[in-house]
Amino acid sequence: MTCEEVRAELVECWGSTEQLTTAATEHLAICENCRYEARILRGTSVMLHSLPSESAPEGFTAGVLQQIAREQAQRGWTARLGQWFVPANQTSWTRAAAVGAAIALAVAGGSMWAGRGSLPEGTQQYAGSASGTIAVSTPAATEAELDELLRRHQALQMTQPLADDPGVNLVVYTTK
Amino acid sequence: MAKARQLSQQDIEELVERARRGDGAAFGQLVEEYKDKIYNYVSRMLNDPYEAEDVTQEAFLRAYRSLPRFRGASSFHTWLYRIASNLAIDVVRKRKRQEPTYSLDEPMESDDGEYEREIPDDTGSPEDRSTTRETRVAVRRAIMELPEKLRDVMILYELQGETYEDIAEILNVPLGTVKSRLFNARNRLKESLEQLVAAGELEVES
Ligand SMILES: [Zn+2]
Repeated sequence: MTCEEVRAELVECWGSTEQLTTAATEHLAICENCRYEARILRGTSVMLHSLPSESAPEGFTAGVLQQIAREQAQRGWTARLGQWFVPANQTSWTRAAAVGAAIALAVAGGSMWAGRGSLPEGTQQYAGSASGTIAVSTPAATEAELDELLRRHQALQMTQPLADDPGVNLVVYTTK
Repeated sequence: MAKARQLSQQDIEELVERARRGDGAAFGQLVEEYKDKIYNYVSRMLNDPYEAEDVTQEAFLRAYRSLPRFRGASSFHTWLYRIASNLAIDVVRKRKRQEPTYSLDEPMESDDGEYEREIPDDTGSPEDRSTTRETRVAVRRAIMELPEKLRDVMILYELQGETYEDIAEILNVPLGTVKSRLFNARNRLKESLEQLVAAGELEVES
């Protein structure tokens, strides 16, 4: 048996001489280099397997479930907004743009309506509490209106979805 | 070793079925069952506790989102591992693109050279060289020096205790590939740690 063959066998069993074939055992008895090799492999294995296991941090499961709940709530109202602003037969990107625009306008509207005691008649509230401070208009947007909304959206640089901010109440306001 | 599984295969299947129908509590039980296993795996792959936490969380979130498409052809645990493995490999590759000369000496450990979340060393005497801090740091570094494909197999087999068959399924490679990668990984690890082992007073019985 060659040194190379013996070493391949040693790697398979992490240098443990108990599991070797007779031929390999006989080779080890006469080959100091391969005995050294076996010792290094055994030491490597001991070191590797001495690594302690690590556990997920405290509160991990709660964090995952919270994130799931957040995503579901968000999907709920973005889906509603998307349907509301754009007819269902529109392309998906148009719908996505409409949702972004709605968010932007919600924020713009928020500054308009903030401070008013009550919301105008016809206001539809889609999320948030009754103390709503944000309003969005335009139930039946045309392409041009959507473009305009989108421009405002970009001007406002709104990238944070409102659902991620529990301090913001999203209210959808309908104009006649 | 990670906490032993407490749920039976049948329990798991029932939980998966309930979670698939949108039962959040059932999914929570699955997360509890597998979080340490997946976290330990990802943590070994990335050697960074914070990234490991993010990736582990993302793996569970993706699993939840994909549950409606999970058909049980593979077991839930290999399926979960596959999601985590793909995410971890993505991070490894992104790191390579960002830092071609990625240094292993850099921020992988906190000031004292250990993870902050390291489980306390309760393995006994300080003379036990196999568990010293220095050794653990060296072993982690040697694992990180492995190419990711070898690292993946090495961690799954040696540290996570997965079988060749499950690893083949997790990584979607033939059984022979798993075995040859493991062989190469062991050889490389041995080369990396040779000096430390040879120099050590480590008493190694056969
Ligand atoms: Zn020899």
